[in-house]
Amino acid sequence: MNLRMTGISKSFGANLVLDKVSFSLSGGEIIALLGENGAGKSTLMNILGGVISSDEGTIEIDGKEISFANPRESLDAGIAFIHQELNLINDLAIYENLFIGREIRNRWGVLDKKAMIDKTREVFDGMGIDLDPEAMVRTLDASYKQIVEISRAMMMDARIVIMDEPTTSLTETEISRVFSFMRTLKSHGVGLIFISHKLNEVMEICDRYTVLRDGHMISSGTIDSVDTDALAKMMVGHDVVEEKRAVHKSGDIVFSASSVSDGKYFNDISFSVRSGEVVGFTGLLGDGRSELFLSLFGAGTPYSGSVEVSGKPVTMHNPQEAVSLGIGYVPRNRKENGIVKDLDILENGSLVTMGMRKKGLFLDSKRIEEDFEKEKKELSIKMGNETDPITSLSGGNQQKVVLAKWLSADPRILILDNPTQGVDVGAKEEIYTIISDLADKGVAVIVLSSEAHEIVRTSSRCYVMYHGRILTELEGEGLNEQEIMRWATGAAI
Amino acid sequence: MENTKNGFNFIQWFRKMWTQHPLFSTACALLLMAVLQIIALGFDQATFGDWLSRYIRNWINILRNNATIGIIALGMTFVIITGGIDLAVGSTLVAIGAIIMLFIDSSATGLLTAIGITGIPAYIIGILMGLLAGLILGEFTGILITVGRIPPFIATLGMMKICRSVTQQCMQTVNPSVPMPFTKIANLAIGRQMFMPIIYWLVIAFIMYWVSKHTAFGRHVFAVGSNERASKLSGINVNRVKRAVYAIMGLLVGVASVLQVSRIGAMDFANAGSGYEMDAIAAVIVGGTSMAGGRGSIGGTVLGVLIIAVMNNLLNLIGVPPFLREAFKGVIVIGAVLLQKKEKN
Repeated sequence: MNLRMTGISKSFGANLVLDKVSFSLSGGEIIALLGENGAGKSTLMNILGGVISSDEGTIEIDGKEISFANPRESLDAGIAFIHQELNLINDLAIYENLFIGREIRNRWGVLDKKAMIDKTREVFDGMGIDLDPEAMVRTLDASYKQIVEISRAMMMDARIVIMDEPTTSLTETEISRVFSFMRTLKSHGVGLIFISHKLNEVMEICDRYTVLRDGHMISSGTIDSVDTDALAKMMVGHDVVEEKRAVHKSGDIVFSASSVSDGKYFNDISFSVRSGEVVGFTGLLGDGRSELFLSLFGAGTPYSGSVEVSGKPVTMHNPQEAVSLGIGYVPRNRKENGIVKDLDILENGSLVTMGMRKKGLFLDSKRIEEDFEKEKKELSIKMGNETDPITSLSGGNQQKVVLAKWLSADPRILILDNPTQGVDVGAKEEIYTIISDLADKGVAVIVLSSEAHEIVRTSSRCYVMYHGRILTELEGEGLNEQEIMRWATGAAI
Repeated sequence: MENTKNGFNFIQWFRKMWTQHPLFSTACALLLMAVLQIIALGFDQATFGDWLSRYIRNWINILRNNATIGIIALGMTFVIITGGIDLAVGSTLVAIGAIIMLFIDSSATGLLTAIGITGIPAYIIGILMGLLAGLILGEFTGILITVGRIPPFIATLGMMKICRSVTQQCMQTVNPSVPMPFTKIANLAIGRQMFMPIIYWLVIAFIMYWVSKHTAFGRHVFAVGSNERASKLSGINVNRVKRAVYAIMGLLVGVASVLQVSRIGAMDFANAGSGYEMDAIAAVIVGGTSMAGGRGSIGGTVLGVLIIAVMNNLLNLIGVPPFLREAFKGVIVIGAVLLQKKEKN
């Protein structure tokens, strides 16, 4: 089966995310789809998977032009999209998951368990999978869950499988298991699209590659003709404009960790941050940086190792302790972790300090309003009335309110996880300026981001993490997007 | 439209209130019922004065009889705003009632009488012990929910069974009596009207309103119910807020228990308070508080108690058989939630 996508364009509002991109795949080959976040990979695959439709361009399968109105039609055409969040039901057996919605019934209308188990076993034997069809999905590790999900697609006669960053949450053994399954599929004539940032994995498993950047097809060819450095360069682009980076006068070390591990998400982490310094932490999805700082803030997994704030050893048991030590934390995923949707703008902006601003038993509303007014001006939050719901604001302004709630507590150390997530370009720049201003005031700012250019733009120093470990520390000339990409993708090891 | 310019447009105002204020429809229903109630009361008195005194007496009766549920519903509002629920209130009410009665009993079986304390000091100790017992039971429930990580429904279901059963077993052979003076707490007549329970209820309602709006704790209750994770990451001690909410619930059940013992002058440990949890929850829901947490108000709950109370009175006046009245309560709960504007995603 041959797939050909030609001249695909797609824009969201005024934002052109795909500009005449072409892509092709034959049966029995594995192709890597590469690009930074926002390059257009997901959009392209969502068009192929029938999740969204393209504005322009054609999709052909074996020379016949087709279009998909929804994921169902795409699946019927033999295209299976395996998402990062797997669609399996943990509390059902493997065979029940494989037949969900298409159960085999006997003539009394009762489920024919035996027929389903037999069919599952037949498919598994054909693919060389050694799994008990009656085992509960919950008992499987992440790699086997993926294999089960792909098997389900195979039972629906999928000929093309899209795998979206399948290895991010897997261990080394699990990855090799998934890879050997992918090779089996390949030998059965299935075409696979492998989306990944991990370039050494791409080199190992793929036959060809296609690189997207800013919605354009940059390059395509056989894996044999390139190496990881060349791929990293293509993803970032040669013409990276070195944007001016603010230089801050840094002071004493205010936050440091040595050999911090939680035995699960991060291992042997050591770093230090000075006051008035912006330090970046970056890596791919699953590198453990978010979990690390969640733990250091007292809200994540317990850790071993030593942490010092202003030279004094501390252990954070809960966020209250972290707050009392002058640490602020703006989490990722604003909607789930940042804003409280039933409280108004003012209350969201004063959630941290509310408990500290009291007049006797009651809230010192005047003080709280003054505090917020000040931050509102400083951060130039665009809003109506302060008693309006927080959800009436744009993403950028919501993020500023979350920032305001921390800034009114005067933190000495501020941790920002994905500070520009879901924020438009203009507000992004404003947030970078805010970060720079904070450092000038002597705050130690830690920026966690998976976007290399964001780290380069904001930080004077950066730690690159990979699989829960700090691989390297970049500074000065060495701190550029290509270098970050080389380390983050594991190409440098 | 022509008539938009000449000042106040009632229809537009009404439509705006109806769509923008979730509780407006509930208030309208209450008003409608109050009007129906006047009609049902009839106008067969000789003078307007007679009619008015009958009307007022009817209202005092309604409020007095619902003060206990009203007070419990206030605590329930906080519990439900945090996203929890308390099914144990009816049972803790009898447990606390038993404790109070053991302390205030003036016969030889009374705990304090045995050591020579009687009269007002005994009543004060009895009341304090009752409130303390409520606080401890509530705090214990809170610890089960936060430290023990048991869902509120299950923790309070367990407490409900434990409290009722232990109380019945312990009180099998003891039969404490309530001394006459103690009954004055709820039955003191001022100007021939006994409205003390109403005063207690309204005072507590006002305090709870104030706490919910003007203290950090009150706002934290809403924050925790709306987004527990964001609250935790903002340095709010989520567990302490939850424990406090159940402790307050327990304390208020203590107050309700004092009133109940005093008003009735006895307690049927097998049946007293049963169904109170559902009546309180119904009032809170009718008052516009979201079962999912994060949204609700004390004012709404007072409205919710009133609407159910007035409806009961109305059904009584027009002679609906008692067995059918619960059905109307069900209709009110479902109808109120249907009418209140639902948030669109």
